[in-house]
Amino acid sequence: MKISGQTSRPGRIAVSALPDPTASTMRLSVFDTFRDGRGLDALLVLLTLVYLIVFGLAPILYTVLMSLQQVDMFTLGDFSRPFVGFANYVDVLTRPEAGMVARHTLVFVALSVACQLVLGFALALFFQQDFPGAGIMRGLFLAAWIMPGLVVGGIWRWMLAGDNGVVNSLLAVTHLHPTKIFWMSDPATSLYAVTIANIWLGIPFNMLLLSVGLAAIPKDLYEAAQLDGAGPVERFRSITLPMMRATLGALVSLSVIFTLQQFDLFAGMTQGGPSNSSNVAQFWSWQLSFQTYDIAGGSTIAVLMIAVVIGVATLYVRSTRHEQIG
Amino acid sequence: MQITLDGLQKHYGTYHALKSIDLAVPAGQFVALVGPSGCGKSTLLRTIAGLEAISAGTLRIAGEDVTRRPPRQRDVAMVFQSYALYPHMTVAENMGYALKLRRLNRTDIARRTQVAAATLGLEALLGRYPRELSGGQRQRVAMGRAIVRDPKVFLFDEPLSNLDAALRVHMRGELRDLHDRLAATSVYVTHDQIEAMTMADHVVVMRAGRIEQQGRPLDLYDRPASRFVAGFIGSPAMNILPGTVDPSGRAARLDGAEGPLLSLPMLLEPGRPVLLGLRPEHLRLSQEGGARFDGVVDHIESTGSTTFVKLKVASQAMVMTLARRLDVTLGDPMQIGFDPADLHIFDRESEASLVTQRDAPPRAGRA
Amino acid sequence: MKRYLLTAIGIGITGAYLFPLYWMYATALKDDAEIVQYPPTLVPQRPFWNVGEVFFGRHMPSYLWNSLVVAVGVTALVIVLGTGCAYVLGRARGRWVDALLFFVLMMQVLPSSLVVTPLFVGFNLAGLLGTPRLAVILAQTAKALPFYVVICRASFAGVPRDLEEAALVDGHSRLAAFFHIAVPLARNGILVAAVLVFLQSFGEYVFARSMISDDGLQTATVGLSAFLGPNTSDWHGIMTYSAIYVTPILIIFVLLQRRIVAGLTAGAIK
Ligand SMILES: Nc1ncnc2c1ncn2[C@@H]1O[C@H](COP(=O)(O)OP(=O)(O)OP(=O)(O)O)[C@@H](O)[C@H]1O
Ligand SMILES: [Mg+2]
Repeated sequence: MKISGQTSRPGRIAVSALPDPTASTMRLSVFDTFRDGRGLDALLVLLTLVYLIVFGLAPILYTVLMSLQQVDMFTLGDFSRPFVGFANYVDVLTRPEAGMVARHTLVFVALSVACQLVLGFALALFFQQDFPGAGIMRGLFLAAWIMPGLVVGGIWRWMLAGDNGVVNSLLAVTHLHPTKIFWMSDPATSLYAVTIANIWLGIPFNMLLLSVGLAAIPKDLYEAAQLDGAGPVERFRSITLPMMRATLGALVSLSVIFTLQQFDLFAGMTQGGPSNSSNVAQFWSWQLSFQTYDIAGGSTIAVLMIAVVIGVATLYVRSTRHEQIG
Repeated sequence: MQITLDGLQKHYGTYHALKSIDLAVPAGQFVALVGPSGCGKSTLLRTIAGLEAISAGTLRIAGEDVTRRPPRQRDVAMVFQSYALYPHMTVAENMGYALKLRRLNRTDIARRTQVAAATLGLEALLGRYPRELSGGQRQRVAMGRAIVRDPKVFLFDEPLSNLDAALRVHMRGELRDLHDRLAATSVYVTHDQIEAMTMADHVVVMRAGRIEQQGRPLDLYDRPASRFVAGFIGSPAMNILPGTVDPSGRAARLDGAEGPLLSLPMLLEPGRPVLLGLRPEHLRLSQEGGARFDGVVDHIESTGSTTFVKLKVASQAMVMTLARRLDVTLGDPMQIGFDPADLHIFDRESEASLVTQRDAPPRAGRA
Repeated sequence: MKRYLLTAIGIGITGAYLFPLYWMYATALKDDAEIVQYPPTLVPQRPFWNVGEVFFGRHMPSYLWNSLVVAVGVTALVIVLGTGCAYVLGRARGRWVDALLFFVLMMQVLPSSLVVTPLFVGFNLAGLLGTPRLAVILAQTAKALPFYVVICRASFAGVPRDLEEAALVDGHSRLAAFFHIAVPLARNGILVAAVLVFLQSFGEYVFARSMISDDGLQTATVGLSAFLGPNTSDWHGIMTYSAIYVTPILIIFVLLQRRIVAGLTAGAIK
């Protein structure tokens, strides 16, 4: 936690230009505004800002542009391409799989967010209790969160394997489902297979944020309620839930955003198949661009999805603002 | 070294925090800036330090224009209210840091740190980290960090406000001693007027970004230039009651009071609405004539040495302090007298003193 | 007594949650015959270790090296570009700062799989696909930079402003005070954020898959995805590969676990 003064080497920059402090130097030179004035703030901010404009904002605008153009293998390398108006949008949205993908995306997001929230909340409440090792165990959950998504996809694909997967055997042993489920190859279950893996991945983050929210509730509120004769359920309903409203709001938005970023699990588990039965918008967009080279189509879906994500993110920012004020 | 501020202005966006401050601090003086919260004391101090850019006007330290210079080229030392000790450095490193930045060699740094530590009784703590110190010790280290540098100017921003009452009183004396021994020039921000009165050679009372009045402590006490300064300097605060000048022009009557007139130390036009100010310690119990009026005891408190009597006078509240015990019961009528020379009179509109207008004291401190 | 019962339940829950990780290691230790066994054995019966074959047979040194190049590149770039911005955003206040923070947050939420299309086309036009690892570094930096800024900002905001002002009065320039006072005092948050960026980039998939075509320059995730083909059955090999790949990540995580939790909570809340 501590570093000693000797290890840091203060003054190297300052001293070179720090003459006898009584010597007279006049106005700030251009160089000095960057060392001492507002120029420093501007410079530091611009580093990030310019980078994000070039590699973050510009690509979005470029996607919008491409969604209005004809972009395929042949025009890929051209700087100017023919404009086609909203033809790409009409084309993409009228494809037979469009409705299905939209539905899947909705199911994937709704199920993931709901289950992550409920399970994360339950776990947060459990580990909120005071017992030896609670903190360490809570931290260990994050191990899942830092794993590469593709590896997680591989592991779940193996665990959910139809013939000799451990999940099927567990279901059989516990008599929950005696026959084998071919999770990935059955169109009826493939989306749920990926959803399960995604719920697993998202639990730690939910748990972490909810734990922080729970820890911020003053203990004396519970004590007061207890004196008023409120039981555990009543305390949860009348104190915990209302006090967690802001956290829950922020968390739902964040979970939606993270779920819409999920790509690796689809790549590792089902490739959106069989026959698009587990395809979602963010994966479909990529498939169109990089597997069928229908870059205009991929861009069009990307534009629609980016709009959704930014909408949700704006809600999130709004809710955190509100939290700070209220 | 003297500090001279000429028409200094500070804007934060559209907020005008300092409105044309003129101030001259002669070398070796101890100047206190006082005023209510938010009046711009810290802002003024920080513009002197160079931590806030000056929007207009000039600032000279030791005759040199330093208006646009960064803090490191002003040779000022500052003691922060929070002490601002570097948590990752020991006491010795904290104190020697400024010297290290000036590339003094190790032995010089160690020697000067030792001397400063000895001055403040910190020798035993040099190897500790700030988190291992008590509040009072941290405060000393912050002072030590300032004095090792032997700067042109010391700046203090409420350095004692985080200490308990007894230590604060003790440190007041010590700080003033230190100032005298180092023959330093100090600017000291406080919102505690007692601190300002007891420590400073020169007190500057600020209000809403302006200097309301400045002068020697007792001059401010004796001749406050406005109702604001009158209320601010002195504790408990001066009683200020609305009154009207009598047709004779030589006396005034408290508004709503039937009792005798209060004779004025000067002539004013009859019927003029004024504010009458009387310090609690200038009031006394009175049986016979002279300037006096009637009140009713409303509340009484005693610290043992001093008795605070709250009175109702013509349905207005008034406080009187007496340096003795008093045996009265609530509701007792009481006759209060005072020396007419102690009466302060302010214009009701402008709230400026009508007494000081007559014999304004020499404005100390303006170069 | 009740507390120890809770600990026991807690261990059970944590164990159940982390079962997939156990399963990866267990499978890596089973031979092919044991793997196809149904019901599967919970503990490998004839532990057998096949690291060498998978490691070299699957060209893992090259893949891991490329992943490392990408991760180090991204982390370095992010630290250089983002630390100062995090500092300013943690310090300054006002409408401009709010707007900037909003912009940064918006860049953070963009899904990689959606921005990869324009980046690919743009990089193609700019000729960047000739140096595909650099292209991936540039793309992933745009993704990781906002995250880093948001996390670091919280720890810079936690450094009292007075300390820097004291340093200015003591003789530092603002730039030097940033380096010598603010950065050392915020180093915990910087470290956590940098480690998380490193781990994220080490496991990055979308950009590498989409922009790198030369197998010799591919990263470990792409190597794994080739292994994970539609009809794969070499689960022993895949899990061995996975175990080799993620073990360093898990070790880093365990070593820094407490700091990571602290840094994430601070960053996420403010
Ligand atoms: N960075 C800033 N931006 C905008 N306004 C500011 C800023 N700093 C100070 N102010 C405003 O300037 C005024 C003066 O502030 P200052 O800190 O000087 O008050 P003060 O006299 O030191 O008060 P206190 O006794 O409470 O410390 C206040 O109204 C404050 O709100
Ligand atoms: Mg102040």
